[in-house]
Amino acid sequence: MSISSKLIPVVLLSASFALVPGAARAQQPARALEEAGGDALGRLCFQCHRASMWSDLRLDRRGWEGVLYRMVGRGALWNEDEIKAMAAYLASSAGPPTGKPAK
Amino acid sequence: MRELVAQYLSRSISRRTFLKGLTATGISIAAAESILDSLAPAAQAQEARTAAEGIKVFEGTGGACFAEQLMASGVKYVFGNSASEDAQFYEALVDRPKLKYILTPHEGPGAAMAAGYVKASGEPAIVMQAAVVGLMNAMGQMFNAFKEQTPLVFYSYRTDQSGRAGRDGFEEVENQEQIVAPMTKYSWLARRPDKIPETVRRAFKAAWTPPYGPTYCSWHSDYNDEKTRAEIIVQEKVDPRMRVRPNPAEVERAAKLLVEARMPLMNVGDEVYNRKAIGKAVRLAELLGMPVTQARQVFVSFPQTHRLWVGGPPGNRLATLAFPKEPDVVINVGNKLQHNSPAPIVSRNVKFIDMRIDSASMGNVMTTEVPLVADVALGLDDLIAAIEAVMTPSIRQRAAARAQEVQRFTDHAKALKALVAKNPDWDASPMLADRVTWEIARFADADAIVVHEGGSIGLHSFGFDPLGGRELFNYYGAHLGSGVGTAAGVKLARPNRQVICLVGDGSFVFGPTALWNMARLELPVITVVYNNHAYSGPHSRVVEKVAGGRMVQTGHFIHDYLGNPDMNMAYIARGFGVDAEVVESADQLKAALTRARRATVEGKPYLLDVQVGRYGVAWADKPWTPPISVARERTKKV
Repeated sequence: MSISSKLIPVVLLSASFALVPGAARAQQPARALEEAGGDALGRLCFQCHRASMWSDLRLDRRGWEGVLYRMVGRGALWNEDEIKAMAAYLASSAGPPTGKPAK
Repeated sequence: MRELVAQYLSRSISRRTFLKGLTATGISIAAAESILDSLAPAAQAQEARTAAEGIKVFEGTGGACFAEQLMASGVKYVFGNSASEDAQFYEALVDRPKLKYILTPHEGPGAAMAAGYVKASGEPAIVMQAAVVGLMNAMGQMFNAFKEQTPLVFYSYRTDQSGRAGRDGFEEVENQEQIVAPMTKYSWLARRPDKIPETVRRAFKAAWTPPYGPTYCSWHSDYNDEKTRAEIIVQEKVDPRMRVRPNPAEVERAAKLLVEARMPLMNVGDEVYNRKAIGKAVRLAELLGMPVTQARQVFVSFPQTHRLWVGGPPGNRLATLAFPKEPDVVINVGNKLQHNSPAPIVSRNVKFIDMRIDSASMGNVMTTEVPLVADVALGLDDLIAAIEAVMTPSIRQRAAARAQEVQRFTDHAKALKALVAKNPDWDASPMLADRVTWEIARFADADAIVVHEGGSIGLHSFGFDPLGGRELFNYYGAHLGSGVGTAAGVKLARPNRQVICLVGDGSFVFGPTALWNMARLELPVITVVYNNHAYSGPHSRVVEKVAGGRMVQTGHFIHDYLGNPDMNMAYIARGFGVDAEVVESADQLKAALTRARRATVEGKPYLLDVQVGRYGVAWADKPWTPPISVARERTKKV
């Protein structure tokens, strides 16, 4: 499966995450959670999906958690920390337009 | 009377039916009994000859010959839709009560019902349609049978009689039998009435010789009416008994590869289920401490509750398994391997052992280190024996350590799978499809059979175990409309098991007519329709292909919304004589399932139309529908 152009930011983000020193990460827990989520997303989702399947989706964190838990129902084996981190990352990078409802 | 005598001597009718037939012609009961006595020596001689040879010569109409050969081929049930040119066949059934005709109101669900019966019983059946017009309706399920490798025999006559064929007559198409050629193992047009039994016999022989698959037979309609004389031969006499053992040299090579492997992985499939070799697959896995998976198939062929079961690959390639990430040897036992992406299911960098009876498809996609062409039940016996012969204490120790490693994963995976219930929308109404599945899994009997035809429904929480626990009949060929019919056929074959049909609304409306068969035949199946009033799969795939396109920008999806007006599946069910209700929340579902159980205990089918939510990109609460209406064009109120 080819990596689509929409995946590239995620991969780059994951790579940059690996270069950030641990101490700096600890100072920014929210940012660290999102970055860990980006890493998990690249590692866990793209073995089955292309990014284009969900790149038009705009959801808040709770909405993205719903999406990810539905993947558990289809066989994805993720722990709660991974799901939280991926939802945080997705809500940050693909959140709802300001002032609009989450769905 | 001559016909009756012939039928009696050929054991086509019983003594009682013979006597009844004679008295119906005006002969007194005393005279009839006298005739019966006079036939005794001939009957005994005929019986002795038939028992010894399995062959008898039968005289009668082509339709009666057809019925005779069906019985000799082991058929109990005929699934058919009314066909006027089969009159002599119907006539023959009146005095042949062993051959039961099930009238199905549409050929598609009728064929699905027959396929469900064949899959669940392991016994032969035939599907009949009216000429090419009926055949066309059945061909969708013929395609499914071809993809699934189900040994189902189809028949339809040519409406054109032999004396007027080739004139573009009513219901005539040239080369009717060739229409089905690409998806049958055998298709043939009998050229004479006396060739009907031979054609039927060959159709059953071809269908039931592994690898299984559908077959088709046909003849001109006037052959059904003509009197003829033909041999009727029992299936046993023509069955080539394809119980093939694998090449012993290859078995030794496979055994060596497996015992020396760092992390072997077994992929199982339908041949294991069909050959009742699940226990043997378990034995092989346990011997080696080998993890087991299964790429998409019809049946579950390994207990999902077993400590060595690592789950199915979520992306249908073994590389998408969470564990083991790097197997060095993969053995496939009986899986057809449906490759749905350019990358093969088994990656090129592992040593691959392929054990199957379907030699024609081996090596087409996968490079194969060790091919084991075999009946998998015999193949597993030989492989287990070969491995046991080379097992040493150190190999056993390594296998035990590997089994522990696999179990650490499976214990962890079990906990992760349970997280499905943490979904923040768990209590939503309309319901999450996952919640519906979870509630049904809690409700289902420990040995329930689940028939599944819902492309957007994840099948978690059931813990299928074909060794005495729950079983799955999954849709595989994907010609929609098979679920309800399949469930009816499964229940017909296994009346003492709870049968639950899970079906999406889109699939359901392709084939609800089998509900009528459930009501008429008292087949107490629980049908659950996951009704989101939409085609979810096509919606998601379209969005994936045209991400950010005009459809997403405008919300104008022309192809996927089935609401406005919403379909009420409970009304549809009641129209076929099946009690039903609409369910909108988890609490309602629990209560409705209790009512469904009560109905089935009393022998009645029941349907739940469960309202589930639409999730995914760009679904609106009230989706747009194309503005096509004739209302404004009407100028007359007619």
